[in-house]
Amino acid sequence: MKNKKNLKKYADIFAHIKASDLMTKNVTTLTPENKMSQAKEMMRIKKISGIPIVDKKDKLIGIISLEDIIKALEFNKMDEPIQNTMTTDVITVNIDDNLTDIVEKFDILKLRRFPVVDKNNIIQGIISRVDVLNGILEKFSLIYSHDKKRNSTLSQEISLITGEKLLINEAEFHFAIDNADIIAAGTGAALLQQFLKKKEVDNEIIRRIGIATYEAETNVVIHSKSTGDILCFIKEDRIIIRVTDKGIGIEDLEQAMEEGFTTASDYVKEFGFGAGMGIQNMKRFTDKLVIISEKKKGTQVEMVFYTDK
Amino acid sequence: MKVKELVKILDGEVISGEDKLDENVKSIGAGDMMSEILAFAKPGMMILSAQASPQSVRTGIVTEILGLVIISGKNIPQQTIEMAKQNNFLLIKTKYYMFSTCGRLYKAGFKGIDEE
Repeated sequence: MKNKKNLKKYADIFAHIKASDLMTKNVTTLTPENKMSQAKEMMRIKKISGIPIVDKKDKLIGIISLEDIIKALEFNKMDEPIQNTMTTDVITVNIDDNLTDIVEKFDILKLRRFPVVDKNNIIQGIISRVDVLNGILEKFSLIYSHDKKRNSTLSQEISLITGEKLLINEAEFHFAIDNADIIAAGTGAALLQQFLKKKEVDNEIIRRIGIATYEAETNVVIHSKSTGDILCFIKEDRIIIRVTDKGIGIEDLEQAMEEGFTTASDYVKEFGFGAGMGIQNMKRFTDKLVIISEKKKGTQVEMVFYTDK
Repeated sequence: MKVKELVKILDGEVISGEDKLDENVKSIGAGDMMSEILAFAKPGMMILSAQASPQSVRTGIVTEILGLVIISGKNIPQQTIEMAKQNNFLLIKTKYYMFSTCGRLYKAGFKGIDEE
């Protein structure tokens, strides 16, 4: 259960994050008078696996899970009110609980989700493992994982930060990093800047994008031992840059993050690279940065620059 | 202080971007590592460097600095010169080594990025 181990590791770093920051707020609820069949339909339509049951004042009194539905099917209780089947002994998370408490609950109780309540037991939201991870990603400036589960993530055209679709053929700018020559490193970043100037993006943002992209592009040329891509997506309030490769991956990100650490060759150093500041610079000039890398699979850098500030 | 004063102090040779001689030098920085320059470079700044590869010019363009001074009388590769000319980027060459280059400019009243 590597996932759990990761959750624990992050929990300490992000102890100040509270349930209210992580939870899904628009929680779907039902009342005890509703029928089990309605709960089943609701789960199907909303693609959820648990529904908190509340009274007329939104006070939490039970929960229905997929297991309860299966039980109701088995014992022919689908037309009966929910209150006959629901679990009334609900384990909840308090709205002020911090990430460490929440992760511990997931850890010990092996449940998939917890309803979030205030001190009067009024439902405020619901929190799942995915919410916890997403919440961390949101607060994070950087995450690293060479978890095997990431295989699919690395090849998917989905934002690592927001989960929105980022299709390669819908990118507004695409540069193929296909030159292993160090002299060419940065060509894509410079072209991207020229492209953004035509789009009338704020000049300081263009500068920051250029610098961060230059660093990411240089990393592909120097370290990945493969080709790569620079993609730019312009959204209403932000610009998303992705620099991806299918190369050797980052062996140890903690080391790579250390200022001054480098695996660059002497040849590359002759050109002024290998200061061990690349990732630091990416962090410095982006609003949000996520790097996901897996050994022998590649590295994916996603950078977000807000344009509506 | 203007670019042309800097050129004079360094007995410099202007290789490209001659039309920028009357522009104001906001501050000066020095370094040979690209990431270092990327981290501190600001628009309107001059950078002094012993790094004469095309990367120096590209770094200069990306960070939108005013221009670059290659020190120690380094031989500047043709590719570097071409890139500078194509982008009308201010490129200057001086025979002085790093310490003397910095000393001369500082004495003349130019300031570092951290003193701006």
